[in-house]
Amino acid sequence: MEPLDRELDEGTLELPSEPMMLNMGPSHPAMHGTVRIVLELSGEMINKADVQIGYLHRAFEKMCERGTWTQVFPYIDRLNYVSPMLNNVAFALAVEKMLGVTVPERCQYYRVILGELARICDHMICSGAMCMELGAFTPFLYFARAREIIWEMFEEETGARVTHSFGRVGGMANAPTKFFKDMVRTSVPRVLELVAEGEKLLLKNRIFLDRLEGVGIMSKEDALALGWTGVCLRATGVPYDVRKAHPYMVYDRMQFEVPVGTTGDNYDRFMCRQEEIRQSARIIDQALAQMPDEGPINIDDPRIMLPQKNEVYSTIEATIQHFKIVMEGIKVPAGECYSYTEAGNGELGFYMVSDGSGTPYRIRIRPPCFATTQGLQQLITGLMIPDVVPTFGSLNMIGGECDH
Amino acid sequence: MSLVELVLTVVKILIIVMFFLNMAALSTWADRRQGAMVQDRVGPNRAVVPLPNMVARGIVLLPPALFGVLSIFTSLGEVTGRLALERTTVNVQLAIFVTWLSLLVLCAKVRSGGAINRAERVFEDVDPRSIFFAGLGVHALGLVAMRFVTPQGAPMAAKITGFVLGAIFLIVGFYATSRVPEGPIPLRLAGTLHALADSIKMIWKEDFIPKNGDKVLHGLAPILTVFSAVVVAAVLPFGNDLCFADGNRNGTLDFSDLGNLVATVPATGQCTGFRVPLQIADLNVGILYVFAMTGTGIIGAAIAGWASDNKFALLGGLRAASQMVSYEVAMGLSLVGLFLVYSTVRMGEMSAWQGQHAWGIFVQPVGFFLFLAAVCAETKRVPFDQPEGESEIVAGYFLEYSGFKWGMFMTGEYIELVFSSALLVALFFGGYNLPFLHPDGLTVAFGDTVLFQYKMTHLAVSVISVLAFFGKTILVTWVQVFFRWTLPRFRYDQLMKLGWTKLLPLAIANMMVTAVIVVALRNAGPAAESWLKLLGDISQGLVAVLTLAGTVALVVGLLEPVERHKFLVTSSARFAAALGGVKPTAQEA
Repeated sequence: MEPLDRELDEGTLELPSEPMMLNMGPSHPAMHGTVRIVLELSGEMINKADVQIGYLHRAFEKMCERGTWTQVFPYIDRLNYVSPMLNNVAFALAVEKMLGVTVPERCQYYRVILGELARICDHMICSGAMCMELGAFTPFLYFARAREIIWEMFEEETGARVTHSFGRVGGMANAPTKFFKDMVRTSVPRVLELVAEGEKLLLKNRIFLDRLEGVGIMSKEDALALGWTGVCLRATGVPYDVRKAHPYMVYDRMQFEVPVGTTGDNYDRFMCRQEEIRQSARIIDQALAQMPDEGPINIDDPRIMLPQKNEVYSTIEATIQHFKIVMEGIKVPAGECYSYTEAGNGELGFYMVSDGSGTPYRIRIRPPCFATTQGLQQLITGLMIPDVVPTFGSLNMIGGECDH
Repeated sequence: MSLVELVLTVVKILIIVMFFLNMAALSTWADRRQGAMVQDRVGPNRAVVPLPNMVARGIVLLPPALFGVLSIFTSLGEVTGRLALERTTVNVQLAIFVTWLSLLVLCAKVRSGGAINRAERVFEDVDPRSIFFAGLGVHALGLVAMRFVTPQGAPMAAKITGFVLGAIFLIVGFYATSRVPEGPIPLRLAGTLHALADSIKMIWKEDFIPKNGDKVLHGLAPILTVFSAVVVAAVLPFGNDLCFADGNRNGTLDFSDLGNLVATVPATGQCTGFRVPLQIADLNVGILYVFAMTGTGIIGAAIAGWASDNKFALLGGLRAASQMVSYEVAMGLSLVGLFLVYSTVRMGEMSAWQGQHAWGIFVQPVGFFLFLAAVCAETKRVPFDQPEGESEIVAGYFLEYSGFKWGMFMTGEYIELVFSSALLVALFFGGYNLPFLHPDGLTVAFGDTVLFQYKMTHLAVSVISVLAFFGKTILVTWVQVFFRWTLPRFRYDQLMKLGWTKLLPLAIANMMVTAVIVVALRNAGPAAESWLKLLGDISQGLVAVLTLAGTVALVVGLLEPVERHKFLVTSSARFAAALGGVKPTAQEA
């Protein structure tokens, strides 16, 4: 028998331990099928995280160079596929900046209202999906119900529920429908009601709060250094909102607050989104009141706008005009420009170069998600595997615009 | 063990296993169905068996005809005394029930398919709810009318009501058969067949074993899980103890004695003949056996995680093992207070105690909540479903399972769900007891004041007790299924913290406080005892009142007509309507 009190070196008693490498994604329920995170784990703790994007890459920028300026719109829809209308408006504004034209006031209000509806939709889906990934299915259904109402409105206005392709250079594809204002006025309160109901299930739930509070903290300085914008930046306490800082369209006439967070954790991001939904509803209310009922929607410039269909069929000038715009595209003067707006996730910018032809020479997008996803690695290092889910969810990374 | 005991045990095992397997399938269905319902769709409802017309007619005709003939046949014999009264009551209530239920079905049929004769046309404008409420009213009237039946007239009344009941059964059966449409009849059973179809499908699905996995352990793990989930049911008492008289006076229980169920037993439940407990095994370790067996369930999950050769599965297995081991401690300690109060660990005696005194939830409210949390964690259901947490580690320990092995894990999980509900019922919700129902019948008494007394036979009480146990279990299962869709799940370390720093100290504190109170009350003398008796009776009354109120609220809620108003009709909805279709629009809410 060996003596029991044998001297043992403490070092030899330790079992050899080496970190476990774990591939999370791209086909993983929480990764939305578009991201891969290679984790180095010690138990459940994340020692190192390597975020790899690009699984939804579809050469968006290159594709844009192949058609006319107008033909870019369907690609734009699929950037942030949760709020396509904001992308539509952003791109139309960018080309209009190159052309040096401004759309009529009625159209600007129309764009603001549709854009804010899309923003509500975007924030609701982000928050709802995050709850669902945490295991709470019911709140998601409230949000999905509300989204359905907004989609119905979009369907009524644009004819499509998700990918509208509704924006045009110099206006919109169609004028507002006859009952547009009534429809929005009836539906938005109902949407807010549903959002409040969904929130009620979450914000008094200790488990939900414990999962969010103090998890995935980002400091103000780091967020700025990473180039964060939008809700994620505002949650860290920086009140930067393109709509306030550099107002475009008619946002300078609107009264609204920019909600900011204090700690920049998941809870702040969630609450900022929820508050922005209410602020968007405020903007919609004001825009509806100010929007003129009559007046042109599109600018009156035959070099940019397609002529009326009945004229195309009856006059030779209109036929030629139609042919030239469709086949050659709108002639955008040669030059460069950067145009930026506040999209669902933050500053959505387009840097465009034109050589004077009807086709973009180069389009470069500045997607908000690309910058926020850079910070993911920093956010989740040191956390546990379950924390990846709400952290990644609250960043609202959308593959379509991130993998440009 | 004599042959007759062996046969009885096999029968009891069959009852329990059939109940658990069926409930597992049904709760799978309910879980998916509820999930579908919150998503506003019909849910799994595609499995269908096309029945040949003759078979369908046979199914519709046979049971009512059988019951009708049986009812008439049994009414031919003579019955006297209390049995006659009881039989009259049952006959009247059954006749009323069958009548209004058939009218309800007929009304629904007429409203959906149209009337085929002048008599049916009456139902076209009738609200089915009024039939239901009228039925309830007649039930109450029937109970009142029983007061006017004298003991002398009871045998005659039993005979007449039996004949009437038989006639109603026969009329309903033949009329329903004539209403069966031509051609093969699709049988769906509200989608419950889907669970069956799924389980059949699983047998033929590919049984995938990871290339580098441990083949033996990979196969063993699901067996262990199902095994531990099923065997624990052995100690559940699912009904009153049955009492048989020794007919041939040979001193042993044999098959001829099984017909001699004693007519009545006293209120204390004392049995002079042979006592047959409705419990597969009346172990003296009782609940400890349950703890031991659920403990082995951990091994199944841990082995599954290890043998799958998958890192997600490994994480799931680790989580399952640590979570279940941690909560086992809190689960055991949360019940110690209960053992002190019941002064026994035998499940049968626990249920009997609750019948005589008060339900467990009243004597150990803190223990109940602790045990509920711990048992939720043990069954790995939301919010404690980290081991499978599908958004984090995909499916956890059974990630690499497919086909029937996966099915075994799922069945095991749902059996555990049903079993945990049964355990909650047995320990905290009075087991097979109903408020004021004693072995000799219904006695509504507070302390020594008897308000109402209704004597019943031993047979009637036993049947009611079995139904009560299974009914309560179904109810608790349903509530547990309900939790699942609303709560987010804990994080792993929060879960551990909850288990070790909250549940465990609370369980120990609960144990100590209970011990002090129990000792104090035992030395307090007879006055305290009578006060306790009164409190127990009040708690029984409370349960009775709450149950009634809950039932009424549920019925009213379910029968409330759903009003949806369209506040906006979109063009697409209008186009669909113009074409004769319906676009279900979210604007309707």
